[in-house]
Amino acid sequence: MPTPIEILKKKRAEALNRIISKGFLSTKRVYVGMATCEIAAGSKEVMDVFRDALEKGLRDVYLSQKGCAGRCNLEPTVEVIEEGKIPVKYGKVTPERAKEIIEKHIKNGEIIYDWVIK
Amino acid sequence: MARKYNITLCDGTSCIQKEARNIKDAVERELEKHCLTEKVSINLSGCLGMCSKGPVMIINPGYTVYGNLKVEDIPLIIEQHIVKKKPAAELVIETDHLYNRFFRVFGDVNFFGKQMRIALRNCGIVDPENIDDYLSVRGYEALAKVLTEMKPEEVVAEVRKSGVRGRGGAGFPTGIKWELTARQKSGIKYVICNADEGDPGAFMDRSMIEGDPHSVLEGMIICGYAVGSKHGIVYIRAEYPLAIKRLEKAIEDARREGFLGKNILGSDFSFGVEIRLGAGAFVCGEETALMHSIEGSRGMPRPRPPYPSVFGLFGEPTVINNVETWSNIPVIIMDGSDWFSSIGIGRSKGTKVFALAGNIKNTGLVEVPMGTTLRQIIFDIGGGIPGNKKFKAVQTGGPSGGCLPEEYLDTPIDYESLQKAGSIMGSGGMIVIDETACMVNIAKYFLEFTQNESCGKCTPCREGTKRMLEILTRITEGKGEMPDIEKLERLGNMIKKASLCGLGQSAPNPVLSTLKNFRQEYEEHVKEKKCRAHVCAYMMTYSINEKCTGCGLCRRACPVNCITGSAKSRHEIEQYKCIKCGQCYKICKFSAINRN
Repeated sequence: MPTPIEILKKKRAEALNRIISKGFLSTKRVYVGMATCEIAAGSKEVMDVFRDALEKGLRDVYLSQKGCAGRCNLEPTVEVIEEGKIPVKYGKVTPERAKEIIEKHIKNGEIIYDWVIK
Repeated sequence: MARKYNITLCDGTSCIQKEARNIKDAVERELEKHCLTEKVSINLSGCLGMCSKGPVMIINPGYTVYGNLKVEDIPLIIEQHIVKKKPAAELVIETDHLYNRFFRVFGDVNFFGKQMRIALRNCGIVDPENIDDYLSVRGYEALAKVLTEMKPEEVVAEVRKSGVRGRGGAGFPTGIKWELTARQKSGIKYVICNADEGDPGAFMDRSMIEGDPHSVLEGMIICGYAVGSKHGIVYIRAEYPLAIKRLEKAIEDARREGFLGKNILGSDFSFGVEIRLGAGAFVCGEETALMHSIEGSRGMPRPRPPYPSVFGLFGEPTVINNVETWSNIPVIIMDGSDWFSSIGIGRSKGTKVFALAGNIKNTGLVEVPMGTTLRQIIFDIGGGIPGNKKFKAVQTGGPSGGCLPEEYLDTPIDYESLQKAGSIMGSGGMIVIDETACMVNIAKYFLEFTQNESCGKCTPCREGTKRMLEILTRITEGKGEMPDIEKLERLGNMIKKASLCGLGQSAPNPVLSTLKNFRQEYEEHVKEKKCRAHVCAYMMTYSINEKCTGCGLCRRACPVNCITGSAKSRHEIEQYKCIKCGQCYKICKFSAINRN
C-alpha cells in the first residue's frame, strides 16, 4: 500500500504535467486578477482582451486567472512573468491598456514602466 | 527605469539586531564600486521568517536566498552573482517555506515586500479554480504528512505548540479548542469554518476563499483528522456568490482527487465538507448564533458555557474557527510549530491580515507579523494619508473595535496591546481616519450598525444600544447636554458587562474609545454646539460674506431655493429655510460662503 505522501507525490506530478501541457512553460505567463473586487473594477473585460488575442493566434503565452493580491486601489492587476526576469506587475489595467501590453510587452518585450506597480 | 536585478534585504527586528543595516550599506558601496546602481534596485522587506538564518538577502530574478551574511561576504556575492552572473553557491541557503512563493512574484514592490504572507500565501499567484495549481505549490502536502507520519494527538499538540490563536477576533488559542474537542468521546463531531464576515469594510475572508479556497479546506481536513471528526461545514454568507462558486468547485475537485470523501489518500480517515449559506446577519458571526443558524433556528446566541467544543452543533462537540485560522494550519504543519511561534510577539504568534481602508493612499490587504506597529502599517505599507491631510485616528476591529488617536500609533499589533489601548484586534478591519472626519459622527455610524444588527435576545444590547444611539443623535443635532456624555459612558459600560454575546459586549467600544480619546470633540458638540470637522450638519450655519460677486451659482445650486439676491449684488441665505446641505459652500468659486 502506498502511503498518503506517496499518493500525493504522484498526484502532484500528474498535476504539474497537466499544467505544463496547457503551456505553463511558455516564454510568458500572464495572470489576470479575477476576484469579486477585481471583476468589479473591470478585469473581466481585460481577461477577454487576452483571450481574444490568444484565439487570434498569440503564441507562447500561458494565460491564467488568479485571486486578489490585495492591492485594491490599483485593480485590476495583471502580472507578466518571464523565467529569469523580475515579474512585471501592471496596475489599473483597462482593455485599452491590455491591448497595448500585448502589442508592446508580450510581442516585443518592451515593458511599459508607467503602469508598473512600484 | 529598467532594472535588471532586485535585491531584497530583510529588515525584520531579528535581522536588524544582526546588523542587517550594515549589510545594506555594504551592498550599496559594492554596487557603486562596480557602477551597478542603475541596474540594481534595493528594497527592504518586513520579516521574511528566516530569523535563525539572518541576516538574509534575496536576489531576484531567480529568487536566490543568501543567509547568515557578514559584511565581508557582500563583495564576493555582488561580484559573483551580479557581475559574473553566477550565484555564490557556498552562501546560498535552502528555503522552501510555503509563504515564500508570494514573495517571488511580488517581493520587490514596497507595499507587498514589507508584508509577510502566511494566510494569504497563495492569493494572487495561483488559479483558485484549478486544483492543479494548488497542488503545484505543495498543496495538500500538509494533509498527506499528517496522514502518513502523525497521530491525531501529535497534530493537536503541534497546533497547540505553535501558539496560533483564533483570527476571528477573540483570540482563543486554537490548539486548546482542538484539544477540548478531541477529548470528547462522541461518535459525531463537527468542524466548522466561520466565513460569515460582516464588518463594514472588511474583506479578508472573501479574498482568501476567492483566491485560495483549497488552503482553507486543507486546514479543515487536518483538523477533522486531529479531533476525530468526519463532518466539515463552511458557513458563508450568500452575499459572496463568487466565493461560494469557487468553494463549491474546490470541494468538488478535492473530492475527485481523493482529498475529501471516503478513505482520504488511501488512509482509513474520511471527511466531507458541505456549504451552508448565511443570510448576512452580523450576529451570525458569533459562534453560538452561527450554529443555531445552521441548525435551522433563528440566529441568536446562547450563554456559554457549555462551549461549542463540548456542546456545539446539534449538541455535538464542535471546533469552529475563522477562515484565516484555517488557512494558517497547513503552514504550521509543513514549516513546524517552532518556526511559526518564532514569528510574532509575546502571546500573539504568527501574522494577521488587515483590510486597510479609509483615508489612506494604498488601500488593500495587508498581512504582517504580530508586533508590527500601527505606524508601520499606515505609513510604511499604506503610504500615509492622501492630500496632505493630518492623521486623526485609526479604527481597528470594525464596529466592535475602537478608535485610536496619534499617540497610540506606536502600539504593537497584538491581542493584548490593542485591548489595553482600548480597541480590539477583531477580524481585521482597519480604517484610517483623517482630520476631516467628526469622531462623534464616526461613533454614531458604528453604533447605528450594531444597533441595527442587534438580534434582540438580551435587554442590555437591544435597549441599551438604542438609547445610546438616541443620545448620540441628539448630540450630533446640537441638542445634547452635558449629562448626556456621562450617561453614554455609564450605559456603555453597563452594556459591555451585561450583554450575552460578543456583539453586545463590544458594541459600545467605538463610543467609549472616542469618549476616552476625543472627549473634547464631544464637549464642543454639547457646550459650544460646534463640530470642528464641519460634518454634523445640524450645527452649522451658512452665511454669505462680502466677497460675493453675485454670480448666482449658489442660488441655482440651492435645492430649497433659500438663497436670494439679484445678479451682480451680494446674495443672502434665508436661515429658516436652509437645510444645511452645504451645496452653496462647495460650488462657490470666491470663498464667499462662511461656514460656522
